[in-house]
Amino acid sequence: MNSSVVSFFAEAPPYQMAVAKLTEILGFDSSVLMAFVTFFLASFVVVNVMALVGGLGTYAERKISADLQMRLGPNRVGPFGLLQFLADGVKMILKEDIIPRDADRFLFIIAPLFCLGGVFATLAVLPFSSGFTLTHLNIGVFYLLGVSSLVGVGIFLGGFSSNSKWSMLGGMRGASQIISYEVPVTLSIITIVILSGSLAFDKVIGIQGGLPHQWFFLHNPFTLISFFVFFISALAETNRAPFDLPEAESELVSGYHTEYTGMRFAFFALAEYIEVFVVCGVAVALYLGGYQVPFHLSELHFLHDTLGVPMAPARMLGQILEIGSFVTKTIALYYVVIWIRWTLPRLRVDQLMTLCWKYLTPISLFNLVGAAFWMWAFKGESVWTLLANLTNSVGGGH
Amino acid sequence: MFDNFIFLSSAALAIGGALSVVVSTNLMHSCIYLLMSLIGVSGLYVTLSADFLAATQLVVYVGGVVILMLFAIMLTAGSDNKTVNRFGIVKIPPMGNLKTYIMSLLTAGVMGCSVLKMIMNINQTTKLGELPPYSTTVEQIGTLLVTDHVLAFEISSVLLLGALVGAAVIARPRLENEVTK
Amino acid sequence: MTAYNLNAYMPVIILVGFAIIMIVGALIVGRFIRPHNPSDLKETVYECGEAPMGVAWSNFHVRFYVLALVFIIFDVEGALMFPVAVIFRKFNEIGSGSAVFVSLLLFIGVLLAGLVYCWSKGDLDWVKSYTQQSFNEERDEKKLA
Repeated sequence: MNSSVVSFFAEAPPYQMAVAKLTEILGFDSSVLMAFVTFFLASFVVVNVMALVGGLGTYAERKISADLQMRLGPNRVGPFGLLQFLADGVKMILKEDIIPRDADRFLFIIAPLFCLGGVFATLAVLPFSSGFTLTHLNIGVFYLLGVSSLVGVGIFLGGFSSNSKWSMLGGMRGASQIISYEVPVTLSIITIVILSGSLAFDKVIGIQGGLPHQWFFLHNPFTLISFFVFFISALAETNRAPFDLPEAESELVSGYHTEYTGMRFAFFALAEYIEVFVVCGVAVALYLGGYQVPFHLSELHFLHDTLGVPMAPARMLGQILEIGSFVTKTIALYYVVIWIRWTLPRLRVDQLMTLCWKYLTPISLFNLVGAAFWMWAFKGESVWTLLANLTNSVGGGH
Repeated sequence: MFDNFIFLSSAALAIGGALSVVVSTNLMHSCIYLLMSLIGVSGLYVTLSADFLAATQLVVYVGGVVILMLFAIMLTAGSDNKTVNRFGIVKIPPMGNLKTYIMSLLTAGVMGCSVLKMIMNINQTTKLGELPPYSTTVEQIGTLLVTDHVLAFEISSVLLLGALVGAAVIARPRLENEVTK
Repeated sequence: MTAYNLNAYMPVIILVGFAIIMIVGALIVGRFIRPHNPSDLKETVYECGEAPMGVAWSNFHVRFYVLALVFIIFDVEGALMFPVAVIFRKFNEIGSGSAVFVSLLLFIGVLLAGLVYCWSKGDLDWVKSYTQQSFNEERDEKKLA
C-alpha cells in the first residue's frame, strides 16, 4: 500500500475529526477532498521550499566559488549577500521578454515547462522523511527516472526552438548527454534494487540504518563503486561541470538557453538547481541511509515511551529529526557538486562519450553482476555483518 | 471523483495529442504532441493500477523513443524548407493509387476486428465483478518473468542484442567508393 | 481498493500544475512591469554580432541517432531488469535464488556481448577515425585474413 503525507496525517485524531465534520457538512464522503487539500498544501510548501533551495543554490554556487578562488562573492544584498537571489529574481522579472523572430514560438514557450514540470514531478517521491514525503509510490525510483527524462526533451526543445546555431548545438549535446548517462544511472539503481528488493523509497531506506556501516554506500565493495558511478553520471545528467557541455560558455556562448531572456531563462536555471538537489537527495536515499537517524533517535517508541514526550509532539519531533538527517546529507553532497564544478576542467565531447560508454557502463554492469552475486552468495548481508559472524564463529571455535 | 478526473484528463491528453499529431503539419510539433499523447497513455495505465507499466511507458517512450524521433528529425531535416520538413504532409505524393487503397482497407479491417473484439468483451467483463486486491505489480511482473515467461525474458535480450548490432551496422561510416559499389 | 491508490498520484498532478502556474503566472505578472520595446535588431538571434546566416535547423550527424538507438536498447533492458531485481531478494529467501541469478546473468551476458561487439568495431567512438588510408589498411587486413 502506498503511504504518503496524507496517511501520515490521517493517523492523527484532529485530521479524522476534520474529515468527519466535513462529511457531515457537505453530505458526501470528504476523505478524498481532505486528501486533496492536504496534498495541495504539502505540495505548496515543498514547491516553495524547493524554489528557495534553488535560489539559495545560486547564492551558494557563487559564494563557494568565491571562497575557492579567494574572492568575496556577493555581499551587498542582505546579511552576507544572502538575499542576492531575490535581487536576481526581481531583475529577471523586470527584463524584457524577447522571442527571436525566426524562433518556433510554440516550442520556445513550451520548452521551460518541460524542464520545470519534469523536475517538479520528481519532487513527489523525494523522501524528505518517513511521514512528510509527498507520496511513497511503489515504483518510486523508476517513476523518478521516467519523469526526469522530460528534462532532456525540454533542453533539446530549448535548443531547437531558438533557431540559433549555438542553441541548436547545445540542445543536441544536452539531449545526447542526458540519455547516454541515464544508462549508468539506471544500472546503478538496479544494483541497489537487487539488494533492497523494492523500488519504493521508504523500503529502500528502511532496509538501511542510521549509522554509516549500515548504509548501502558501505554495504559491500560493489555498492561502494556503484555510488561513485551513480554520482558521476548524475552530475552529467544534471549538466553540472565538468559535464556542462550543453552550456559551455567558452564554445557555445550559453548553450541551449542562449536566446532565452528574463523569467524564461530563470526557469531553466531554477529547474537545473532544483534538479541538482533532487539528484543529491536520491543519492542520499539510495546510498547514504536517506532520512534514517542514528541510534533510532527519531523512532516513536523511543521519544514517546523512553523520553516521555506526548504523542503528537513526539511524532512531529521524529519527522523533524529525519528531515534534518536527510537535508544535512543532501546539502553535504550539494557542496561536493559545487566544489567539483570549481575544481575540475570541462570534458571534451568525445571524452564525455568515452567516459560514459567505455568506463561507466561496463563498470556499472560489472557492479550489477557483483551485487547479484553478493545477494546470491551471502544472502544480501553487509560486509560488516559477515565479518562479525566470522569473528564470532572463530571465537566460538576456541 | 479523483479517479474520474485522472482518467478524463489522461484520456483527453492521449486523444488530443494523437489528433494533433495528425493535424499538425510541422514535424517537430507533431513529435511533441506525440509526447503528450504518450504521457496521457501512461496516465491511463495508472488508472488501471498498472503503475509499473505506466513508469515503463515514461522511461522508454518519453525518455527514449521521443528523443530518438527528435534526433531522427534532426538527421533528415533539410534546411531548404523553413518550418515544414521536406517529408512533411505538404509534399507527400497523391495517395490515390490501388496499392494505398488495399493497404488502408487491410488496416481498417484489422482495426475493425480488434474494436469488435473489444466491444464483444464488454458484456462478459461486467460479470467478473470486483478487481482483485491491489498488490505491487512490479513483484507480480518480476515473478512471472523468472517463472512462467523466463524464456521470453531471455529471448528479449537476444532481440535487444539484434537491435543493438543492427543499429551499429546501419550507422557505420562508409566511404564514397563503397557506397557507390 | 483502487480509489486510495490513485490518490497517491495526486501530488504528481498538483506539482505539474504548480509548474504551469509558476511559468504562466510569472510571465503574466511580468507583462505589467517589464518594458516592451521590440526592435528588429533585438529579435534576431545571437551570432557573435553578425547578421545570422540561414536557419539553424540543419542536418545533424548520424552519431546522435545511433546514440539514441543504443540508449533505447539499454533503457528497455533496464525496464526488463527492474522487476527481476525486485523479486530477487524474495526468491533468495525461499531458496531458489540461483534460478533468478542465472537468468539475470544470461540476460546481462547477451547484452554485454552486444556492447563488446560495438566496442570492438569502434561504434562507441565519438570521432570515428575513418580516413581513406585507414579504410584501405583495414580492407587489406581483411584480404590477408
